[in-house]
Amino acid sequence: MNDIQLPAIDYAALLPMLIVFGAACVGILVEAFAPRGWRFVIQVSLTIGGLVAGLVAIIVNRDLEITTIGGAVTVDGPGLFLQGAIIILGIVSLGLIAERRLERGGPFVAEAAHAANSDGDKRQEREPGATEVFPLTLFAIAGMMLFCVSGDLLTMFVALEVFSLPLYLLCGLARRRRLISQEAALKYFLLGAFASAFFLYGVALLYGYAGTVSLTGIREGVLQSEQSGILLAAGLALLAIGLLFKAAAVPFHVWTPDVYQGAPTPVTALMAACTKAAAFGGLLRVFNVAFETTAWDWQPVLATVAILTMVVGSILAVAQTDIKRLLAYSSVANAGYLLVGVVSLNGAVGSSLFYLIAYGFSVLGAFAMVTLVRDSEGEATHLSRWAGLGKGSPLFSALFTFLMLGFAGIPLTSGFTSKFALFSSAWDSDQSVLVIVGVLSSVVLAFPYLKVVVLLWLNPPGEETPTVSVPSMLTRAVIFAGVAVTFVLGVAPSFLLDIVADAGPFLAK
Amino acid sequence: MNAVLLAVLIVPVLGILAVAAGAWAGNRRLGAVLGTVFAGVGLFAAVALGFDHSGRPWTRITEEWVPQLKLSFDIGVDGVSYPLVLLSAFLTFLCCLYTAWKGTERGDALIALLLATNVGMLGVFVSYNLVLFFVFFEIVLLPMFAIIAGWGGPARRRAAVKFALYTLLGSLLLLVGIFVIVTQAGTGDILALTESGGGGLSRGTQLLAFTLLALGLAIKAPLWPLHSWLPDAHTEAPTVGSVILAGVLLKMGTYGLIRVAVGVAPEGARQAAPTLAVLAVVAILVAGLVCLAQTELKRLIAYSSVGHMGFVLLGIATLTQAGLTAALIGNVAHGLITGLLFFLAGSVKDRAHTGELARLGGLREVAPGLSGMLGFAAIASLGLPGLAGFWGEAFAVYAAIQRDQTLWTVLAVLAAIGAALAAAYLLRMLRLVTHGPPGEAVAGMSGTGLRAVEVTSFVPLAAGALVVGLLPFVVQAPIGEAVSGILQAI
Amino acid sequence: MSLSQWVPLVVLFTLATLFALFSVTIAPYIGPRRYNKAKLEAYECGIEPTPTPPGGSRFPVKFYLTAMLFIIFDIEIVFLYPWAVAFDSLGMFGFVEMLLFIVTVFVAYTYVWRRGGLDWD
Repeated sequence: MNDIQLPAIDYAALLPMLIVFGAACVGILVEAFAPRGWRFVIQVSLTIGGLVAGLVAIIVNRDLEITTIGGAVTVDGPGLFLQGAIIILGIVSLGLIAERRLERGGPFVAEAAHAANSDGDKRQEREPGATEVFPLTLFAIAGMMLFCVSGDLLTMFVALEVFSLPLYLLCGLARRRRLISQEAALKYFLLGAFASAFFLYGVALLYGYAGTVSLTGIREGVLQSEQSGILLAAGLALLAIGLLFKAAAVPFHVWTPDVYQGAPTPVTALMAACTKAAAFGGLLRVFNVAFETTAWDWQPVLATVAILTMVVGSILAVAQTDIKRLLAYSSVANAGYLLVGVVSLNGAVGSSLFYLIAYGFSVLGAFAMVTLVRDSEGEATHLSRWAGLGKGSPLFSALFTFLMLGFAGIPLTSGFTSKFALFSSAWDSDQSVLVIVGVLSSVVLAFPYLKVVVLLWLNPPGEETPTVSVPSMLTRAVIFAGVAVTFVLGVAPSFLLDIVADAGPFLAK
Repeated sequence: MNAVLLAVLIVPVLGILAVAAGAWAGNRRLGAVLGTVFAGVGLFAAVALGFDHSGRPWTRITEEWVPQLKLSFDIGVDGVSYPLVLLSAFLTFLCCLYTAWKGTERGDALIALLLATNVGMLGVFVSYNLVLFFVFFEIVLLPMFAIIAGWGGPARRRAAVKFALYTLLGSLLLLVGIFVIVTQAGTGDILALTESGGGGLSRGTQLLAFTLLALGLAIKAPLWPLHSWLPDAHTEAPTVGSVILAGVLLKMGTYGLIRVAVGVAPEGARQAAPTLAVLAVVAILVAGLVCLAQTELKRLIAYSSVGHMGFVLLGIATLTQAGLTAALIGNVAHGLITGLLFFLAGSVKDRAHTGELARLGGLREVAPGLSGMLGFAAIASLGLPGLAGFWGEAFAVYAAIQRDQTLWTVLAVLAAIGAALAAAYLLRMLRLVTHGPPGEAVAGMSGTGLRAVEVTSFVPLAAGALVVGLLPFVVQAPIGEAVSGILQAI
Repeated sequence: MSLSQWVPLVVLFTLATLFALFSVTIAPYIGPRRYNKAKLEAYECGIEPTPTPPGGSRFPVKFYLTAMLFIIFDIEIVFLYPWAVAFDSLGMFGFVEMLLFIVTVFVAYTYVWRRGGLDWD
């Protein structure tokens, strides 16, 4: 047996992910051994500690640029930035997940698999929720972190599954309206499994074409390979389908409204912010590293997908009557804008990263506020129930109006600066058609936001208008973070724009 | 002078804070009064700004804000923008005074929104950076929307939403135009771009940029056929809302056309000028004809704005010294006169509870003071020499003839016919409202004498119209020099 | 590429099919007919079959749970085989890595054990 070459492993580069994975494993042990009363406190502290430690490790690593574990992990500027963004957004959404004052026992139940509305199910609605959600969240975040720094497609696939499976489960754990929660989980799982299968098939075809699954290997193989170009095209298409599913692009967005509506709102917030960041991190890396040289092949197709996404997302958002579905379609439209950034390749990497942070914080704030509008049966998400909330809860309505204006792209909010930065980089990269479609679809998309603002302030409250609950410090912190970041990035975005510009291009050698 | 310039922008913000403090302290009346005082201080600062007009521009402050987006806090004032700054501050002060004195319900909130709109409008007029121009342009949207939606007439929701969506569409087209310029030229500095005759942009790019900018600004101006938000918004807005809308907001569009579109993309302006002129003249004629058929007072005044703005746009389209000067004087004149008209319409509606021309009539027998002011305003609006409106309209026609080409001469003749139409519909309005037997709404009118608050609002505007009409060089002199700077590239 | 190498396979396949068909066809005719209720019940590895709940039954989830857990630990064992074969080449590094792997799966095992996933009823 010849000597096997062991791969060089840079543990410092892997440290953030190892910390978060480690915290997740310890969390499982806590679940197994800790006494029931103590579990919540231990888990929350462990989760926050793990995430903060991971963030510190990333900041310490900030100038690192290295490929490690035999090319499986590529740590570079944008990758580190995305990991940091995912951790920070994860910490903020943890505030929503750990919230226990709005709903007795928290927003999650213990067992997802009870038949909905059976006796066992009804019984568990009255018991405090399980604390397994914390290690599950940690696994999801760790998987997202790995996804953004994968150096080859198989690692990317493993990371995709690691972060998707806990999310499938988390979607089914809502305390109220268990039936649509289970439906959301099942839909997400089935469609996600299909998308993963497409991804894997694409990887196989690309391996056949380039002889390797590593992204840099594919980059070189793309130009030199003697295999048929159809393998490349088909492999790229299937791979893109898998990635675009996660990113919620049209026509792979069909899961988004149902899953966002059915999942417990803290999980919806986690998905809207962190999963979007991870998915686009993966898309940016794959297209900027592996396929940059064949840009003329895939740019028209991806541009068409971007146009469709922006247009369909904004048009369908106009007709929505449920706030969670409205925010879901708005996230589809925002995925369209981010796809413009993907199509624009190198020039728009920095502004895409900025957009992901700005959008992530705004959407976390918005969903946090959605959790506050409640009646005796849980969250009141139908828009008609939100009419006239401005009279009774002016602070809530003012903050929500500010977030809606942020989504609409009014200046002095992060929505404006992020869209401006993204569109001007896209224009610089000769994607003028996409910019024009993006700008026009923004106008269409502004209409549902305006509708909500008008509804809050100008409609008279009905008899069934729910009250806005008073949350604990956790949700308040989330709302504050969302609104504050939306404002700060609208008024003084230079520091973050400098950071993303310095992050540099993706490591491609 | 830099401090005064900053003060002009900051004082209204302080006024908003004062109103908020009043509401928080429980004394809303005090908040309203404080807001009006701050509006007055802002007016004073705006007047003071004009004392030193030696430099080119008169005064300027430049601070870095977000260099990556080419956004810098670059403000200043010169001959082109000063009259509008003054007009904006003046009309805002009058509106705040009117609201506070009259005791409108939730008046302090209305005053705060007026001050917020004022910040946006002043920012647009003093901004020397393209992206900053856009930021202030957008800031005007929300307070104006809130004013229409919160204090307007019966169909205010629809009118407000229509206003918001049209304006948003215009802003976003403006944004794309700004992208084109900023990314191609590498800078957002308006003055630098104007001086270099378009920042080195090619002819095609300039035409594209001009078209996008013009489309966006034309929705604001408004230019036919993008004007359909205006009648609804003006009719349904409260009195002070209509005054600000017609008096200042429309000027944002035309000022933008001069400063941004013509200044920064002169090649594009030159190519697109005939189209712009044709649309402007169509606007004048269509507005005139539509006004002749109007049955509601505020709607009639709203459509007349479309016609007046048509003259202003014709002046801009001629791209001559006389034309641009006419446009800028026309701006100021229209602001004063239509502001006065909307105040008067508000007073009529307050007393008669209707604006239907059929139900009004014989106002001069029942309320002679009000009727006299209305007559003065209508005559000023139709462009009687000696009053401000004349200079705007006459010089636009003169500038068109000065171009000495068939198309322009034809357009000048049609514009003159439009002016005659203006006379026709305004006199018709006078006849239906002030003359004849008292209509059913007028007969039972209460409070027929002019109240003190109304006199204080009407007289300065009327006096302004008279002064600008008799002594146009007061406005024209500072304008002329700045305009020639813009025209250098053409 | 001679087809003759496939002939034994075809013969085997044919014989197997014939045998299976023969056995199944012949059984009802030559076997004894002694009816017993127990012969009609589901075969569950020799133990008493799980009783059907009243009101109709749903598939008992515990079978599925057992199958899933089996797969996870079976695959873990499968991953141990290559390590066993290349043990000396991988040295200390391999030992530590596989230890970490086994520990990670063990964490999952403790969770399942403590939460009663290994209890049948």
